[in-house]
Amino acid sequence: MSIASFALRRLGRGVLTVWFAVTVTFLLLRLLPGDPALAVSSPTQTEATRALLLTQYGLDKPLAEQYLLYLGQLLRGNLGTSFTQSVPVLDVLAARIPWTILLTVGALVLTVVIGIPLGVLAASRRGGFLDKAVQVFGVTGQSLFVPSIGVLLLFVVGLKLRWAPIGGAYSDGTYGGQWYLSVLHHLVLPGLSLTLVQLGSYVLTLRATLVDALADDYVVLARANGLSERRILWKHALRNALLPATTLIGLQLGFLVGGAVLTETVFAYPGVGRGIYEAVTQLDFPVLQGAFLMLALTVVVANTLTDLVYGWLDPRVKAS
Amino acid sequence: MSAPLPEAVLGGLPVAAPAAATRPASSSTWRAFRRQPLGMAALVVLALLVLVAVVGPWVLAAPASYGTLVLAAPGAGHLFGTDALGRDVLAEVVYGTRQSVLVAVAASAIAIVVGTLVAVVGAYVPRLDAVVSVVVDLTLSLPVLPLMILVAALAGPSTTTLVLVVAAFSWPEVTRLVRSQALTVVGLAYVDAARLMTRNHAWIIARHVVPAVTPVIVVSVVVTASRAVLSAAGLAFLGLGDPTSWSWGRILYEAQSAGAMVSAWWLTLFPSLAILALVLSATLVSIAYNDARNPRTAGPA
Amino acid sequence: MAGTPRPARRAVLVGGLGGFSAAAIAACAPSAPEEPAQQGGAAAAGTETLTIATTTDVVNFNPTVGNSRSDQWVTGLMYPRLLTIASDGSKEAELAAKWGYVDPTTGYYEIRDDFTWSDGKPLTAADVAWTLNAVKKDAPSGTFYGQLANFVQATAVSDTRVEFTMATPDSSLVDEIGFWGCVVPQHVFEPAGSIADFANDGSGGGWVSAGPYVLTKVQAGQSYTLDRVAKYPLVEGGVPVAAKVVYRVFPDVNTEILALRSGEADVIANALPPAQVQPLTATDGLAVEKATGLGYAHMVYNMDNADLAKAPVRQALAHAADYEAIRKVALSGQAVSTGSSPLMPVLAKYHDPSITEYPFDPGASRTLLQQAGYTADADGMFGLTFRLIYSLQDSVTSQWAQMVKDSSAKAGIAIQLQGSERNTYLAQTNDGDYDIYAGNFAIMDDPVLNFSLSYLPGGAINYTHVDDAALNDLIGQGAATTDLDEKVGIFREAAKMVHEQVYDNIMYTQDLFFAHSDEWSGFISRPSELLSIVNPVSVASATKSAG
Repeated sequence: MSIASFALRRLGRGVLTVWFAVTVTFLLLRLLPGDPALAVSSPTQTEATRALLLTQYGLDKPLAEQYLLYLGQLLRGNLGTSFTQSVPVLDVLAARIPWTILLTVGALVLTVVIGIPLGVLAASRRGGFLDKAVQVFGVTGQSLFVPSIGVLLLFVVGLKLRWAPIGGAYSDGTYGGQWYLSVLHHLVLPGLSLTLVQLGSYVLTLRATLVDALADDYVVLARANGLSERRILWKHALRNALLPATTLIGLQLGFLVGGAVLTETVFAYPGVGRGIYEAVTQLDFPVLQGAFLMLALTVVVANTLTDLVYGWLDPRVKAS
Repeated sequence: MSAPLPEAVLGGLPVAAPAAATRPASSSTWRAFRRQPLGMAALVVLALLVLVAVVGPWVLAAPASYGTLVLAAPGAGHLFGTDALGRDVLAEVVYGTRQSVLVAVAASAIAIVVGTLVAVVGAYVPRLDAVVSVVVDLTLSLPVLPLMILVAALAGPSTTTLVLVVAAFSWPEVTRLVRSQALTVVGLAYVDAARLMTRNHAWIIARHVVPAVTPVIVVSVVVTASRAVLSAAGLAFLGLGDPTSWSWGRILYEAQSAGAMVSAWWLTLFPSLAILALVLSATLVSIAYNDARNPRTAGPA
Repeated sequence: MAGTPRPARRAVLVGGLGGFSAAAIAACAPSAPEEPAQQGGAAAAGTETLTIATTTDVVNFNPTVGNSRSDQWVTGLMYPRLLTIASDGSKEAELAAKWGYVDPTTGYYEIRDDFTWSDGKPLTAADVAWTLNAVKKDAPSGTFYGQLANFVQATAVSDTRVEFTMATPDSSLVDEIGFWGCVVPQHVFEPAGSIADFANDGSGGGWVSAGPYVLTKVQAGQSYTLDRVAKYPLVEGGVPVAAKVVYRVFPDVNTEILALRSGEADVIANALPPAQVQPLTATDGLAVEKATGLGYAHMVYNMDNADLAKAPVRQALAHAADYEAIRKVALSGQAVSTGSSPLMPVLAKYHDPSITEYPFDPGASRTLLQQAGYTADADGMFGLTFRLIYSLQDSVTSQWAQMVKDSSAKAGIAIQLQGSERNTYLAQTNDGDYDIYAGNFAIMDDPVLNFSLSYLPGGAINYTHVDDAALNDLIGQGAATTDLDEKVGIFREAAKMVHEQVYDNIMYTQDLFFAHSDEWSGFISRPSELLSIVNPVSVASATKSAG
């Protein structure tokens, strides 16, 4: 298909996805029990104050009206004002999103860097002990309970060995080059924690598709022609096996951005995941709606990027 | 929380012809399965856990409401130690097994039923298929854990809420997995032939389509259930679990609130090991089952 | 296939991703601060940074809004209170040097003249009067406004004297407003319009503080940095010792404790879970301070329920809980009995030792129920089921609620536990949607206020929904009396009534403990988690030992 129709389809899909996420959140917040006016209350608050707050939040209007007002607001680029912080939602999220992206990207980079060699190892030694070991390692990682691993890492690496800092995105009081180093240093443990958990599926996918690719006809032909096993593996089979793995990365990216709540909680990492949890406990509707909108956008962007990368890696897609 | 296990590992398998999808295949599958040491070991562990879930509460007394030995390390009287209220952690883990397995099974059962139905119907009725695939994609793009947190926090902590919430976010994956298989089956000649023979579509679906996708469903059950365990534990850890019944997540949550996760390491270790055991064995069993089913990886017959 | 080699493509991809996130992060990079102004300070002033850990994020920088702990710790370092509180509940001077009544409906505060705002303007009585009037007028939702029900109008009669009028005579209003209220700079808050909507997020060029510290940098969800102000009259030497204070957010208390042990945090601001007090006291490098409890935890029985309207049923429930075990196990012994009376031992003047705690006696419960006409079935249960609500965020209550349920079962009473998330819990409380309410108050220092709110019909915390004419009279008398001895006598009588009729089942007063690195000293501990060792004077006085 042409670039234009591809872009149009993607755009349409993207808008639909974002709309769906926003609507689901909007409805859930208003249909499930929960009164934001009470979240900032004290025992001596009167009924009148509560009613006033509800009006201020716009929650006293009928549901359909609230929904249309909100959509209108969104189309004008206004995400609303936080109930509890009285500042624009965009400001609240803008402070947190970069850290979530950094954490997610860091974990993904680590996953790819560690995952490819492991996947290749397992596939090339198929059926052997190393293959089984890699599989078990991958699956074990997926079965770990993140907070337990997090606390363990913090205790051993952070407290006992003093190799990594405990909590936070960076150390206060650092500037310039030192600050960047501090950010990287603080990224190690939470990134490692996240990587451990998702390495498994990446390695297993890669291994499975690599095994299939190695059995393909052209590989048999290449072997018959005398090409070295190593060359076959890295130069030919891997090229094809990477395609599904790349799709997986895209899936995981969108998935991770919202799923790092537990990691961010344990490692005190100031990302969107933890921000959502706090907004939920405070019933801060605008922030929640804005956050889910952002997450949906990230998923859309991630999927689009993945498709583009897929097309780049696989010339067959572009040609069709 | 982990990303979904990819189709390549779980579902991308050649569809067997219907005749082969009955007894002969399953016994050869079982023979192939038995030859995988990892799969067998995992099956044993899984069976043990289910046994503990069913029988444990009959054998062991329920955790008392409090005890005098607070935060005691594992030792003679208490194999797994005691928690911040002096309760026996072994009893908590055993009773928690029942709750955790129950939630996992219930959530995955609902997810499987709903997901399979949607997938099969969608594959069978081409017009619905487009709708199904869009709905599934949209739901899959929602951020799962945050939404689970939202619903659990607002709807209130109870086992029912937990089961429904986990099921609600697990069914699209099942649909995705089952759908590709179902589409292939529906396209096969014998289904077309069946359509010529009868107008009873429900019969066709039940008699031909469902059995063919059953292997994928089996794998789905195991994977969804094990992921449900992790989700439930995660929600409980954040304080959104059911406070009236014992679960592994509750042990971890109480350890977390008491600030005792590091100093009373046994409170963190044993429930985490239990979660690891259940999820790991379930996943290994499903992988071994897949390898056994796939003629390419099953090895010599 | 033609094309660039595989590793290069992958490298470009990875590099691209990395570059993008680097750009996003670079936007968050802090810029190095300018050279600080010369400190012509006293010898005590140092260059150290005090790092304080907290589990809750700072949500709102407007001190008149809301009631989140971390908010109040941070804003407390910038906006002074008129009065502070001593370990026996009596009020002590802070911004106000003298306070009292001009006549039964007019109160006054005489404030110090040596407070200045960090932008140079002096803090005068005009700021105090403006703050009080603005809060009353704009009704920001929070504890401050809740105290102003009886307040009418404040006037600054001079630069250091504020007088305010009240609707009806109220002998505790001056104390309560002085403690629960705060003072904000009129010249910063007034231009913003309604004080209830003012975010005070520093977007207009930073924050203006009366000390000891002023907020300079915010990283949402992670850290809040405050710099020392030039002078702060309430600290010895006139200048805060630590040059910087950083509040760091650790959502998980386990990570928080690890950070304290590794030295990345110097103080933990939130109260330690009771089970951690002993282990941390025994840890090298750490010290633990106590803050006397000034509140209490209680169970309240909803008298709208037909069974609970009967005194014998409430008394039976009162005998069905093992208070000793609760204090020993759930609180690790860090709580004291109040004798089941709202006049806690810590309120030395009011406490009545003749009121003793309900003994744990399931047998007595059964007798009471039988005498009231209930019969037990074959299992020994009386067919009474009550729903007990509590907040899941309150881990201590969550634990003893279970113990109460089990011990009540021994007395033949079934209790259904309903722990909810805080907002649901508040909503249920508001709607009277419970049979038994379990909760606690951090500060219950003034019997007049507490009895009025708790036992008068329509009182904001009258969770038992009682309307006892004799009790109402007593409370009315006590509120109007200004003679302390008479007041004490009246409230002791009222407390006896509450105790006998079980209008309120006060279970214990919890002492709170706070941990800090032993390299730091000089903390001044005050009651309650709100103040403890992170109150402004304490933070300003904290000193790091050399080496």
